[in-house]
Amino acid sequence: MAETRTTLREHEAELVVASVTAVAGGVRELRLADESGTGLPPWTPGAHVDLVLGDLVRQYSLCGDPTDASSYTVAVLREQESRGGSAFVHEKLAEGSKVTMRGPRNHFPLVSAPSYQFIAGGIGITPLLPMIAEADASGADWHLTYGGRTRGSMAYADLLAGYGDRVTLAPADEVGLLDLAWILGDPGSGTLVYCCGPEPLLAAVDAVCEKAWPPGALHLERFAAKAADAPADGERAFELVLAGSGVTLQVPPDKSVFDVIQDAGISVLGSCHEGICGTCEQAVLEGEVDHRDSVLNESEKAANDAMMVCVSRCLSDRLVLDL
Amino acid sequence: MSSTRPPGAAAAVPTDCWYALATSAEVDRRLLAVRALGRPVLLFRTQAGGVVALEDRCAHRAYPLSAGALDDDTVRCGLCGFVYDSGGRCVSVPTQPRVPFGAHVAAYPTLERDGLVWAWLGEPGRARLHRVPELPWLTEPGWATVGGTAGIDAGFLLLHENFADVTQVPFVAPEIAPAALADAPPPLEVVVTETTVELGRTFPASPLPGWQAQMLGVADAQGATVQRAFFHSPAVWTDHWDVEHGAGTARMRFTQLVTPVDGRRSHLHWRVSRDFAIDDPAADERMHSMFGDYYERVQAAMETAQAVLDLDGPGREVNVAADVAALRVREIVRGMLADEGQAFARDQNRP
Ligand code: FES
Ligand code: FES
Repeated sequence: MAETRTTLREHEAELVVASVTAVAGGVRELRLADESGTGLPPWTPGAHVDLVLGDLVRQYSLCGDPTDASSYTVAVLREQESRGGSAFVHEKLAEGSKVTMRGPRNHFPLVSAPSYQFIAGGIGITPLLPMIAEADASGADWHLTYGGRTRGSMAYADLLAGYGDRVTLAPADEVGLLDLAWILGDPGSGTLVYCCGPEPLLAAVDAVCEKAWPPGALHLERFAAKAADAPADGERAFELVLAGSGVTLQVPPDKSVFDVIQDAGISVLGSCHEGICGTCEQAVLEGEVDHRDSVLNESEKAANDAMMVCVSRCLSDRLVLDL
Repeated sequence: MSSTRPPGAAAAVPTDCWYALATSAEVDRRLLAVRALGRPVLLFRTQAGGVVALEDRCAHRAYPLSAGALDDDTVRCGLCGFVYDSGGRCVSVPTQPRVPFGAHVAAYPTLERDGLVWAWLGEPGRARLHRVPELPWLTEPGWATVGGTAGIDAGFLLLHENFADVTQVPFVAPEIAPAALADAPPPLEVVVTETTVELGRTFPASPLPGWQAQMLGVADAQGATVQRAFFHSPAVWTDHWDVEHGAGTARMRFTQLVTPVDGRRSHLHWRVSRDFAIDDPAADERMHSMFGDYYERVQAAMETAQAVLDLDGPGREVNVAADVAALRVREIVRGMLADEGQAFARDQNRP
């Protein structure tokens, strides 16, 4: 019997910018429509897509209506120190532009809970918008604290005002920085914390939750790679066993686990290759993982049962993956 | 480990999903009892034509409302006469003027599309945030559809994993498979998203299977046969087979509506739609018997697999490259259950 060659890839589609709307100072909302007529795949709150912007690939959270099969909505902040993606969106995309989209995927899913503390900083509000709609529809008890530089820089503030006192808007020029110790002062049992925003906010929330909240209560999402360090004495080689496929491979110091797997002809998904999108996650059966990604939180890293094979490596001599 | 689990005690089922509970034609002014997701559900149509889905168990005693009677748009329990409105509220009891405070049965959101009645048995508020896959070929003109329903003693995930394994068709039913399928299988492409899995492959032009050649009046495909398969949600799997022949493209759509009765039993509504030989009762009959046969074989195979799981629990499995779609489906279900706070039983299926 002849062999069936199998390839695995993420869904990709060419979308058309159907509208561009300024939703706050420096923030553009894009509605990306499917013109093929086949319809866009369903997604759940917290999901993001890759947009291919010239030579760059950037991740943006979906913030529209999950039941809309004909378009996806993203909101993009023009970053001062743009790595090129936000500048491309602001300068090059207009109504009618075509954009290649990959995904959706979700590494920030909303886990069902009786109550939620949502914390957004600036453009980090985008993944939280559909989460809030879902939490509200579920009848959960929830509160959002939304910080930003100024009121005018905060996208969707008007829409959120409709939720009344469940939402606290906190522009820094009016009220100063978020008082996280107070916001997170009551680690209620069953309450989950969802946070998205700039790195200093994430680090601060992480630090408060680490001390006072039960493990697993905090869920956060990063869209820029945290600096991950290679060991001072250089990268090491190790043996890689793919238990499900029954093969043993060698990972040399200058090659990633991802590349070694792929070179062996085994299908793995990857997107960012920087440890930020979570696409290449694999289950770990054995070996001490040297985590270099920005997807897993500290307790997930400590659990040592999953890794991002695009950047993470192994501290022991043998790494066994369930692949 | 090797004890037999009682039926129904097994695996978790995602509730945040629209499931097809019946066809539109089955729901009328009679009380229809169905089971889904481990609970009894009562379906009926209001005078205005809407579909109502209620918990099929009286709030008073252990008695199904479906054994009662429909008066206008209210249901009267057959045992001692509590009356419920279409929202599940108890509106009168025969023995006292005041209705017991808070007496009600659950009412589930429903919607009707493509000739099917869909119900949402999860948290009611979330229903409007989720889509029902569109299956237009089931009702659009230009298509002929045959189908059937089977109660299957196998979990919903076993069924989906079976549909994900397109390589089993030549083994289970060699006579329905495209001829090329048997010898040199073309590469299989698996395309994934957060919530869906799609498989695709393209067969080169080759002689058509006898039944199809006869219905189309041509012997050979002139162009490629494109086969695509979709996992839309735990409720829906569809397959598309498009054959290019001399006079155009002949299209077939296989719709598999999977409704978990509980963790280890399912209802399968299968439909086979075609856009050729559509006003041809003989073709209907042929399709019905051929594919009815195919689904019976699938049923037997999956019941055998479930029996192994029931008896001996999950075991170590060897996966081959072509299993990637099935593994992805399992991953999606695992993620849905995790988000709902439900555990994916290790022996839901296999490890
Ligand atoms: S490919 Fe993005 S985390 Fe590995
Ligand atoms: S059981 Fe239904 S009214 Fe008594």
